[in-house]
Amino acid sequence: MFEIRLGDKGEVVCEGRLDASQAAKAQVFLDALAAPDVVDMAKLEYISSAGLGVLLRTQKRLLQTGGGLRLVNASRHIRDIFRYSGFDRIFQIDDGT
Amino acid sequence: MISARFPRSFDALDQIFEFTRRFYDAEGVPDEDRLVLDFCLEEIFTNCVKYNRGNPQEIELELDRSDDRVQARLTDFDVEPYDVTRAPQVDISLPLDQREPGGLGLQLIRRLVDELTYDYTNRQSRITVTKNVG
Repeated sequence: MFEIRLGDKGEVVCEGRLDASQAAKAQVFLDALAAPDVVDMAKLEYISSAGLGVLLRTQKRLLQTGGGLRLVNASRHIRDIFRYSGFDRIFQIDDGT
Repeated sequence: MISARFPRSFDALDQIFEFTRRFYDAEGVPDEDRLVLDFCLEEIFTNCVKYNRGNPQEIELELDRSDDRVQARLTDFDVEPYDVTRAPQVDISLPLDQREPGGLGLQLIRRLVDELTYDYTNRQSRITVTKNVG
């Protein structure tokens, strides 16, 4: 199960498991947003390289307009995946405070 | 040891994760190790799907636990060899404008598991990951 939606404050909320079978759904959602900013991952259990690709493509698009994603509330496992992928160098990643 | 075969499609991931979940529950595999093993299996399985699309053969998954080690093996049938242990490295230090999606999966597997092995015999590719658990 994977869900992606806008939260009350305009943040992108991801829930469940972002695997290769769900990556297109996430990409379509993010592509439809002109300037997504915060991505709340508090309820994101799992992400694979297909999900990383979605985030990377979106970040590269936002680079053209000076924007960028801020990834918040990721679990320890997902933060490890980000670090091993070098995403901590190209995304702002924090605890959401 | 348990095994099952799955259709060559991303849509089979749900079936695969249900299969692994039953194994993890039965073997008491900790949550953190489940995520790592599922990650590795997805990366290997989706590579089999992407790079052998026309192949009608299903892909076999075997799971085994011995003491504190879980071994997961994917066997792909009637395929050309590709040694995943020698896949090129992605330069993760590149700036955003030079990064491209793709290529991270196998690199992350090598970082996350204790052993990754590849065997190719009789046009069968066997990729095995071993993870020390809890």
